[in-house]
Amino acid sequence: MKCDEVKSLLDLHLDGELPMELTAKLDRHLLRCPQCAGELRSLEQTRSLLREAAPPCVPSPAFRERAAARLHTELAAHLRPAGGEESGRQWILPFSRHEV
Amino acid sequence: MTSNGNGTQALRESPHEKRLVARFQAGESEALSALFDLHVDRVYAYSRHLLDNREDAEEVTSEAFLRAFERAATFRAECPFRGWLFGIARNLCLDRMRQPRLILMDPDDAGRASDGGTGADRMETTIAVRRALAELPEDYQLVLKLCDIEQWDALEAATMLEKSVQATKSLLYRARRALRSRLAEIWSDEETASAVEEATV
Repeated sequence: MKCDEVKSLLDLHLDGELPMELTAKLDRHLLRCPQCAGELRSLEQTRSLLREAAPPCVPSPAFRERAAARLHTELAAHLRPAGGEESGRQWILPFSRHEV
Repeated sequence: MTSNGNGTQALRESPHEKRLVARFQAGESEALSALFDLHVDRVYAYSRHLLDNREDAEEVTSEAFLRAFERAATFRAECPFRGWLFGIARNLCLDRMRQPRLILMDPDDAGRASDGGTGADRMETTIAVRRALAELPEDYQLVLKLCDIEQWDALEAATMLEKSVQATKSLLYRARRALRSRLAEIWSDEETASAVEEATV
């Protein structure tokens, strides 16, 4: 494997998307080539620093509850109650009359 | 994953999601809750990164789900619900970004930036990384946030970005290198400034 080819595969390697046989070839090259090994290391470090500096955004439990409650309230007319018996009645949504 | 005929991959609905959509369309409230739980993290994260404000992200997320469910009539089986929902969220975010806004420091940002930080060095690094990220072109920022921070797979990010998977990966790879370069420049400038300061004392 040549350096150019290795460099084009480093991101796939970083993302764990490189097929096994190519990973083995790439690893062999990295052991012999400090330049390519350094390139991979710097990409890994950059991503690691990014993840430390900006953790994932997760909605708060309070927001989840509020938003779910709003949906159930606003769409109440279209929904059957959870676990409720249909008692022979057919529920038809305004939008289910159309072809979907 | 599936091919859309143009040699690019498109989002495919899982059988589980398909069943949930059908149950929701039949009026089951439990299916609504399940679809909400399945997608709320993704929609919120995207909105939060794009709008950079917790309250706006919460409003957009809530509105996106409401519109998605209300407009279920136009939902077509060949288009996965997730892609459709993402499209609504994206348009709402873009509308929100066009509105004039008073930019306030989001208190969450300070907390998020210092999460896991223990010392001044760590805080300096965090500030430098966030500055480098903020100085990148917007499409670079967004793809880094979705793929490297949120760790979405390329197909989901591609759906949200309205690009092919290949174009999304290519954008991501360029963005990673741009972030690395900008960070190196920032640190190099800081070292130079520090050396000048020491020399003049």
